[in-house]
Amino acid sequence: MARGSGNRSRLLLIILLVTSLFLVTLDLRGVSLTKSSRSITQSVLAPVQKGVSTVFSPIGRFFSDIKNFGNTKDELDKVKIANSLLKAQLAKVADNKGALNQLKGLLNLAGQGGYKIIPARVIGRGSSASFSQTITIDAGTSDGISVNQTVISQNGLIGVVKVVTPNSAIILLISDPSFKVGVRIARSQSIGVLLGQGNSQYQLELLDPTGTIENGDVLVTNGSQGNRPFVPGVPVGQVTSVDQKNSSLTQTAIVKSYANLNDLGVVSVIISAPSVAPKTAINPTPQPTITVLVTPTPAATPSLIPTPSPSPHKSKA
Amino acid sequence: MSPIRIASSLVFFFVLFAVQESAISLVHFPVAGFSLYLAVAIALIAYEDHDGAIIMGFLSGIVLDLSPTSNAPFGQWALILTLVGYVFAANRESIFDATSAPLTFVLLIAFGVSASLIFYLVFGLLLGESNGSFTHDIVLIIGNLVWTVIFAPMFLPIMRSFQKVVNKSGQNK
Repeated sequence: MARGSGNRSRLLLIILLVTSLFLVTLDLRGVSLTKSSRSITQSVLAPVQKGVSTVFSPIGRFFSDIKNFGNTKDELDKVKIANSLLKAQLAKVADNKGALNQLKGLLNLAGQGGYKIIPARVIGRGSSASFSQTITIDAGTSDGISVNQTVISQNGLIGVVKVVTPNSAIILLISDPSFKVGVRIARSQSIGVLLGQGNSQYQLELLDPTGTIENGDVLVTNGSQGNRPFVPGVPVGQVTSVDQKNSSLTQTAIVKSYANLNDLGVVSVIISAPSVAPKTAINPTPQPTITVLVTPTPAATPSLIPTPSPSPHKSKA
Repeated sequence: MSPIRIASSLVFFFVLFAVQESAISLVHFPVAGFSLYLAVAIALIAYEDHDGAIIMGFLSGIVLDLSPTSNAPFGQWALILTLVGYVFAANRESIFDATSAPLTFVLLIAFGVSASLIFYLVFGLLLGESNGSFTHDIVLIIGNLVWTVIFAPMFLPIMRSFQKVVNKSGQNK
């Protein structure tokens, strides 16, 4: 009897394991049924999340409020905002300075700011069970948001739009281990890749083997083709420590983000980058060259024919 | 397990999933997060009989796979929790003893949650997923374990009475 029950359990286990593996295979092969099921779930969950976040947000900040107990919260918030604005300005100024040095005044400065954005409220966060770092916002396709758009907070880059439903969107945060963004060091204009590590610090890998990273270097996004997923010039973070290992081909460093991902209330999705004037083809005007025409003047050339010198008269003896 | 029981379990898991995604996930737990969903699912698996534990594991996994924030392929959680269900089913006798001792049961749930997360990470590695640095993952698993130990005593008595009611109604039928 017990053996029969054991066999049945094993058979059930095998059937369910095979079913699970079948689903995994379908998903990895990109079958839309499994992808759309998550999208439908998000559409169903979004109104619930929106309602709950309104009521639940004070409770959600319970632990962080305990940490800040004794401080004047309003005062602290004001200082934080002012500080973050200054940091963002500093990043832009440093970036512009580096570009100017390199291009020696031939290029125009990129317009500061001027992004067309859609502000949205954070209504949910990714579950810790999924190991992914995401947030859910209360704006979606009906507001003009689409996949692969840059998302910023008041401090700088925070992520990219991963999934969109009509009224909500899931943002993959910069801290997610699968997150990668091309960045530029404002000082030297060297290009690198910033990788999420799952925590508040990120790894910078420089692409240029001859480039150098210094502590305090400011990073901005390098930008993507067609401004998707990243628009250029968004402040990302600051280098806190440089890896001095000589074994690797390129330099690496630890970067601290400007944005505090644990304290996101309102974020903005950049729907278009600042418009830039169409680039005009430069046709360098050649400088007039001075042509010196040399006309050879016939000069008296010394004759090689010996001129007969007056011969001494022979004196008759 | 009857089809009605399967359907009602699915509904229960979906409600629990909604609570997890919309409320629990909003709390900024220090160190790491807490998964109410996993803790309750493991507790339900522990209360079930042989076949029930495996089916309950699969159903809870399928609902967790619906998570739109997950990077993992659909079906990964179903696979992991089915395996966890089987482990619980295979050790049914010793687990049944643990359910009657509250502290042991709390620890069993906490270790069950941690084991599920470890299985998930290992399977993710086999599939080539990037789930962060080793330190970060360890901190997350230990954090989940600690929070489960803290919070499990609050919801386990409710689940126990709920389970008794479900069993009684099943016997009456």
